[in-house]
Amino acid sequence: MAVPAIETEPRPRRPLKWPAGFGGRSEKTIAQLLVTPGQLLMLLIVAFPAGVAVYLAFTGYQPTSGYEWFDAYKDWTWFSNYWEALRSWGAFWTGGGFWMAMFRTAVVTVLGVSVELALGFALALLFVKSFRGRSLLTVVFLLPMMVVPAVTGFIFYMLFQTQGPVNGALTVLFHDWLHLTGHIQVPWLSDPNIALFSVILADIWQWTPLMFLILLSGLVALPEDQMNAARILGARPWHQFRYLILPMLWPIILIAVIIRSIEIFKIFDSAWLLTSGGPGDATTTISVYLYRETIANATRWGYGSAVAILVLVIVSLIAIPAIRPIEAAQEETIEELVGGEGAEVVVDVERAVEAEARV
Amino acid sequence: MTPDRATVLKPAGRVLAILLIGAFFLFPLYWLVTMSFKPQDEWSPVGGKIFWTPGRWTLDNFTQALGISTPNTQFFSAAPVNAKSPIIHSLVTATGGTLVALVIGVLAAYGIARFRAGGKMLPFQILQLRMFPPIVVIIPLLIMFAWLGRHTGGTFGVDTYWALILVYGAVTFPFVVWLMRSFFQEVPREIAEAAIVDGCTQWGAFFKAILPQVRGGLAATALFVFILNWSDFLIALVLTDHKVVTAPVFLNSLQSAGAGQEYGPQAALGLVLIVPPAVFGLLIQRYLVRGLTFGAIKR
Repeated sequence: MAVPAIETEPRPRRPLKWPAGFGGRSEKTIAQLLVTPGQLLMLLIVAFPAGVAVYLAFTGYQPTSGYEWFDAYKDWTWFSNYWEALRSWGAFWTGGGFWMAMFRTAVVTVLGVSVELALGFALALLFVKSFRGRSLLTVVFLLPMMVVPAVTGFIFYMLFQTQGPVNGALTVLFHDWLHLTGHIQVPWLSDPNIALFSVILADIWQWTPLMFLILLSGLVALPEDQMNAARILGARPWHQFRYLILPMLWPIILIAVIIRSIEIFKIFDSAWLLTSGGPGDATTTISVYLYRETIANATRWGYGSAVAILVLVIVSLIAIPAIRPIEAAQEETIEELVGGEGAEVVVDVERAVEAEARV
Repeated sequence: MTPDRATVLKPAGRVLAILLIGAFFLFPLYWLVTMSFKPQDEWSPVGGKIFWTPGRWTLDNFTQALGISTPNTQFFSAAPVNAKSPIIHSLVTATGGTLVALVIGVLAAYGIARFRAGGKMLPFQILQLRMFPPIVVIIPLLIMFAWLGRHTGGTFGVDTYWALILVYGAVTFPFVVWLMRSFFQEVPREIAEAAIVDGCTQWGAFFKAILPQVRGGLAATALFVFILNWSDFLIALVLTDHKVVTAPVFLNSLQSAGAGQEYGPQAALGLVLIVPPAVFGLLIQRYLVRGLTFGAIKR
């Protein structure tokens, strides 16, 4: 008896070009394939160097030691590199050492970011209302950001010479016109007490525009209804600012401050061309310190690695909580950022008007 | 205050404030530009008299800096005689680094935006990368490339294009991820899904349907990353010696060479250096803030 042929369904044909996972059936595979090159790159440029640094930090390795880096265990010194950096409190008042460099970096960060915030905010408030030439002027304020930081250092090096144009302009103002002083000869770069402020000033020049642009885009995105309501109800400009603009803009201000702090903490290029960390150690911020200890003035790679790891740890402790707002903001538009708490803001309109009534 | 006085005074005060702050921000650039056109005897003040404007305009600084004419002083006694080869090195490394970052970053950004690849941790890790001073990883990188160089006959070692291109790619890769991720998120999911229904593979959908949608964003990202790489100083300073000297490193070597303060040609080089980022920056004005804030502020 003939067995009837069993009807089988035609087998689904696989795409020939790619293996199944590759061809687009499994989203998981594709997702992994997409991010793998990036992960490899991070591994090569971040994870591997970090591992090397951890190893070398326990040794007294120098490029002149006469053996390859992986043989650095020959000069194993346990924690003495860390200890040397951490006990540098002693050198604090003489200006050298790890802690002083960290302290200077903190000064640069706090001073620089506060001035940038104040100046950028003032500018942004001046630019909210449209006027003739606004977009052209915005472009002018954009330019400093685009200057290569090394060139910024060179420009301010020229400007801050004792016989240079900054002192020249101050002399014109205070000596020639106002007759208040003699010739002004501030040693901007050669006085250890002033040089750090010159470095900060150069950074303020370069990065206030970013602060300005961030805050301006926040101000422009503020919900108009509430601003108008407050104005019509008679709130004064200061009260509008205090009870409406400031609370609504808060998320943006926070992001701007965090981002600028992260960036200014790394300051190197402009500082190096301006003063090379000097006079003495006066402008040796942490990046400059590391560069000097490992390449410029000495080649203490073991010690440099230990300091690098200390910096990594300290920055992580401060910055990991700080980047949450940035991460959250990446998912939102700027309107959502400034108007996210609508209900609260309405209350604030009332508060602004109440404050007004009390005056 | 009467209303008419307020309407006159307030805008006037605003204009005055803007002009004052504007002068503060423009003067350094003014000084760089005019310095690059000043002849040698006007670089520094003579007898206490500062040359606020060039008394005699000249192009000598540019021709000397770019090697069109031979320098008349001992200027440029540093290894490269003029800035021509440093500028070429800068162009090659910045472009190469941009390409590496783009290829790797665009893929990762699409994976994160479309498939949430790597979960919540990956974007966070990539963001973290930006927090650390680059000097922190640079010594191990120097060790790595020095070692690689010795074992590849110098091909991939320190002081080569490859080293700089790879590190530039890695350093700017996070920027590509944030920027492109925000652009990809603006493309409706349905576009990729429709392409797949029409018979495309996932890859086909990506290249034929999604990428054309983000053309503008891709161009802006490329220019932005190029600006970052072009501006680098520290990485090139550490990872190069004399063969692949980039323009900012060259500028620094002039600064510290002790050949006197040759402001004119240095300013000319500085001006040449800031032109590409300035032009590109203005082209991508809309996306600058988005890039510099890691995609947190979208205007």
